[in-house]
Amino acid sequence: MASTPKRARSDGSHRVLITGVSRFWGAELAHRLESDPAIEQIVAIDSGDPARELARTDFIRADTRHSLVGKLVRSLDIDTVVHAGLIIDTREASNRSVHEANVIGTMNLLAACGGEGSPVRKVVVKTSTAVYGSEPDDPSFWAESMNRTSAPRDSLTRDLDEVESYISDFALRNPAVTVTSLRFANVLGPSHDTPFAAYFGLPVVPTVFGFDPRLQFLHEEDAVSALLHAVRADHPGTFNVAGDGVTLLSQAIALIGRVNAPVLPFIGTQVAMAALRRAGLINFPPHLVRLLQHGRVVDTSRLDDFGWKPDNSTLQTVRGFAEHRRIRRLVDETTAYTYEEDLEAFLRAKGRRDPEPATP
Amino acid sequence: MSRTASHRHTHSNGNGSAAPTARPWGDLFGPTMRTAAAAVPRRGFGLDALTALPLSAIAGSLTSGAAGLRRLRTELPVLAMAKTGEVAFRLRELTGHDVIDLESLQDVLSVIYRAAAVREEHRAGTWDVDDFGFERQWAEIFLPLFRVVYRRYWRVDTEGINNIPPGGALLVSNHAGVMPFDASMIKLAVFDLAGERHVRTLIASWMFRQPFVGMFMRRTGQTLGHPDDTRRLLDNGELVLVFPEGVRGTGKPFSERYKLRRFGRGGFVQAALRSGVPIVPISVIGSEETYPMFGDIKPLAKLLGLPYVPITPLGPIPLPSKWQIRFHAPVRTDHMDPAAADDAATVMDLTEQVRGIIQQGLIDDLRHRRTVFAG
Repeated sequence: MASTPKRARSDGSHRVLITGVSRFWGAELAHRLESDPAIEQIVAIDSGDPARELARTDFIRADTRHSLVGKLVRSLDIDTVVHAGLIIDTREASNRSVHEANVIGTMNLLAACGGEGSPVRKVVVKTSTAVYGSEPDDPSFWAESMNRTSAPRDSLTRDLDEVESYISDFALRNPAVTVTSLRFANVLGPSHDTPFAAYFGLPVVPTVFGFDPRLQFLHEEDAVSALLHAVRADHPGTFNVAGDGVTLLSQAIALIGRVNAPVLPFIGTQVAMAALRRAGLINFPPHLVRLLQHGRVVDTSRLDDFGWKPDNSTLQTVRGFAEHRRIRRLVDETTAYTYEEDLEAFLRAKGRRDPEPATP
Repeated sequence: MSRTASHRHTHSNGNGSAAPTARPWGDLFGPTMRTAAAAVPRRGFGLDALTALPLSAIAGSLTSGAAGLRRLRTELPVLAMAKTGEVAFRLRELTGHDVIDLESLQDVLSVIYRAAAVREEHRAGTWDVDDFGFERQWAEIFLPLFRVVYRRYWRVDTEGINNIPPGGALLVSNHAGVMPFDASMIKLAVFDLAGERHVRTLIASWMFRQPFVGMFMRRTGQTLGHPDDTRRLLDNGELVLVFPEGVRGTGKPFSERYKLRRFGRGGFVQAALRSGVPIVPISVIGSEETYPMFGDIKPLAKLLGLPYVPITPLGPIPLPSKWQIRFHAPVRTDHMDPAAADDAATVMDLTEQVRGIIQQGLIDDLRHRRTVFAG
């Protein structure tokens, strides 16, 4: 890694600020960017520890709730901001704190990125297809330009609606900044524990009586690679990101080898799910419960403009997940990696700007 | 005598790919059963091949324990079919009539085999679900049941099937009857007579609210009446069936039968213009007498989220009227500018034209009909 002098980026290198490294997305993205020589500096901010060990990323324990971000962006001359910190998986957090982090956090972050003398030239936001809702009158395929058919029912979707309006506002006011928002479908993959992964992990999977929705999944690798692509290439706009094709819920359950139990009532599904949550059987966020009844499929044809395609279709993602679960039952992977952690910590302490030291 | 003639006519049509013979079941179950089954394979599944099993093999299997029992379970229906075939053959020789309708019996039984075949494929991890949620094999499980109703109950006569173009087209029909069986019959007619094509019907969103209904509709190829859905299907070269009258048609009182309601706001014409596909008007007679509606329990309808809860003579069972489905010559739109879809005058003109063709078709066919139940 050649050390270029600060504030000289005629060679096209980037200084990237990433939010949300305390969760899978931010941390994984930071890790990938570390091995990219075109990325001169990576700064990560979060109120919690990074979800994985990072080598040359500068981690700052702060949250986007404070206008500190504005100073940070200007003093470090950040040109690319990746907002991977939106909380979509609401299992562990209260509505209140999710609202704070998502709505107020985004508002402050965007305020810091815009305005007089801001060095920021690109903002990438990882949001969710949850903004479309899930209703029986919905079109079979959501295009980015379509609006949801009814008012949001749960607090997360309401928050995301607000977040999206901030983003489009920001894009309008800052025409010189490339604003890319990626609406991700539900993610499944071997290493990231999502609500759907936990749901499909149940030996008996509760479904809604009389309904078999169409769903789409995105492989976690593809999700990270979409974010990387958005950082590296300039494609302003909003893009749906999902694996090609669809799966029926019953189909996914069968492919993963679970028992489909249509026990959830179609009236009062939320109440039934809340009871299961209370009983400690499954923690499934309210904004996904509706999905079990009416499903959601997005049109991903705009990805052609984005210049990137997911490697895995929805079905491949489901099959891959099934495969992974089968193998994990045979081999316990958790022991495989731990002994290297000390070594990594040592290497980091020796020289954090040198990801590939010649002598260990 | 004319009744049996038209009946036979629909019969040979109903067989689709099979070679039309005067009594196709006679060959399948009669003395020449074995050779005929080998020569004429019916599509999809091997029931005919099963009926051709030598009976001695079944007798042999009985003497060999658990494996024999398992074989017996698969072969017993076959044995029963063969025996029923013999009885039916005997009865026909004696009376000169088809006392037992073997073809319908076989159709009904085939549902069990088709369902088992699909279950087997699912177990092997093979699912053929398109992006709309349509699963072809699953949908085809139920076709034989509708085929029995088509042939024996409503004795449907289909005219003008050649008006179905090879590519995408918008089929527009009158809509009646509390339950949308007119859609099932049109779908079956096109499947059997126009090269096994699956018509995709556009349905109202309230159906997707109902448990099982929405699931069944999606899985059998129907989708929401949304302009974007319509355009996608038409651009894929599919046949899309719409009922512009909607629930205004199915929920109308008996006295209003065969009087077309308002044809929506011309959304279907806009869809056809945008995709440049022809519109095929369809007039269905018979369907409007299946559910004479004496009243509507409005509070219950509201409670269940249904457009109406009708009071009909036999409840959910439709009356056995004699049906006719007429496919009219297509109204072409490919010579028109797709931008005309935004021109209200053009859209309303075309809407009126299509509505006129269907209404005139109904009037013409009703004039030739002598009675509701005999046709």
